[in-house]
Amino acid sequence: MPKASTYKANSVIYFQGDVGDKIYILQSGTVSLNSNDIETGEEIHDHIKTGEFFGVKSALGKYPREENAVVLTDAAVVVFSVPEFEQLALSNTRIVMKMLKVFSNQLRRLHTKVSGLMQGGTQSNPEDGLFRIGEYYMRKKQYAQAVYAFNKYLTYYPSGRHQADAARHAETAEQFAQKYGSGKGPSAPGFQGGSHGGNEANGGRGAGGGGGGGGQNLSDSAKAYYEAVSSFSREEFAKALEQFKQVAASGGDEEYVLKSTFEIGRCLFGLERYDAVIKHYTGLIQKFPKLPDLNEALFYLGRAYQESGDTARAGSFFKKILSMEDVDEGLRRKVNKAVRALEGN
Amino acid sequence: MDMNLAAFERFAVIFQKGDLLFCEYEPGDAFYLIQKGRVQISKIMGDIEKTIDILQPGEIFGEMAILEEAPRSANAVALDDVKVLEFNRANFEVLMRGNPQIALKLLKLFTKRIYDQRRRFMILTLDDVHAKVADVFLMIDESQSTKDVGTGQRVFYTTPDDIGHWAGISPEKSREVLQHFVSQRRVEIYQDRIVVRNINDFARFVNSRRKR
Repeated sequence: MPKASTYKANSVIYFQGDVGDKIYILQSGTVSLNSNDIETGEEIHDHIKTGEFFGVKSALGKYPREENAVVLTDAAVVVFSVPEFEQLALSNTRIVMKMLKVFSNQLRRLHTKVSGLMQGGTQSNPEDGLFRIGEYYMRKKQYAQAVYAFNKYLTYYPSGRHQADAARHAETAEQFAQKYGSGKGPSAPGFQGGSHGGNEANGGRGAGGGGGGGGQNLSDSAKAYYEAVSSFSREEFAKALEQFKQVAASGGDEEYVLKSTFEIGRCLFGLERYDAVIKHYTGLIQKFPKLPDLNEALFYLGRAYQESGDTARAGSFFKKILSMEDVDEGLRRKVNKAVRALEGN
Repeated sequence: MDMNLAAFERFAVIFQKGDLLFCEYEPGDAFYLIQKGRVQISKIMGDIEKTIDILQPGEIFGEMAILEEAPRSANAVALDDVKVLEFNRANFEVLMRGNPQIALKLLKLFTKRIYDQRRRFMILTLDDVHAKVADVFLMIDESQSTKDVGTGQRVFYTTPDDIGHWAGISPEKSREVLQHFVSQRRVEIYQDRIVVRNINDFARFVNSRRKR
């Protein structure tokens, strides 16, 4: 049973740091909860109103009291043990609801303060944050999760600044999720981690989309391109070759035309048509000296020479790649492996 | 805790293993009570997804959304096929009246969360970066139940980067501060753990830096 209890003025019901399992209701008199503000160290005096509970959080949460409960004028209180308080709460949900509101307010305020003081203090705004979650899942090939995040973005920010990218990524993620499943398949364009020359020239896409009515055309190119990528990943090189050739000749979205042109070489390599590989990439490099995937093209050139027995030429291509600055780790490993194979011969 | 939830079956939502229940930054307007399966709470930091907690049936999450529609502070992922009861402000009061056990459970959850956040806030408001790092160890030590009393030595299975995260400083700064502690022979750093030679020494140090 809850117990009635009285305290004289200037006495203390509990001290900061005490571990107590009692919860109190003030019936009459004045009680002040005294503590120090965490941020400023300033003293805080919080006067309890008649009929108000105190000591609830520390008792329920089983942690030390956070303030001194000081009696200012003679006070009468009712003291509950935790089980007694729970009994009361179960039969009187209004009390709990009221406390829940107070607590969740406190928690929200604390949370905001803590976030503000975290590393850098530059918390992402929710719009950018949500978009970046989608990008993260794209990079990790967790396509279902990426679809979720981008779709949420589009729901909440239908005219947000990442709207176009989110819509495009959501579509790609959807396709990849169906085709390959989670964690499998090639990296989505723009999200290559290793094998594909790193940063794609995604900037070019915005310009291409500006041509009015280009939207439909663009997604056709994209779809055809992914079909081809899919064939390639199943090692159906002949089929992939035809598909990439079609995209390359379609005159559609420039980004996918270029990508497909590049992939033609990889298909030829898969088909062991090394002379054709050499011809293809040599021509491509002459035509586009600033090819985004230049490193990768040089690698296939080297490999094609190696397979055709021209180890001197192969070696000089590999050396050139290794001497370049922005070679990503994946490619560097592949080149080193090829060099070791050369030296083994 | 025995709860009569049959009446709430209409709020049940099923998720497949691997599904996102919600993701960080998404505006939240519901909270969940797990009925079946486990839910992983995680946060994406840089290029890794860090698990913060793994929740079991009977546990509640997303509770910050009760009062206001604020952005979620973490991702919730279904670790198994998961069944949850989904509550929002509209059905919340009905739930509470019909099932005060849940209300009580939620209340206890809030007391715990408030305590944890306050504790973190205490670290972050220290001005001295060395004190911040020391206080992170104190915080972790407080939550580790098995204590080797008698000696002040404590072992923490954590990394300098994690310590930096809790202290609200960069991983580089965290390593630099820890290195300083190493040179003072107060700390030893190993591949998988960090040893604090005397936790009481850290407690005194932090107290001397706290504003009063």
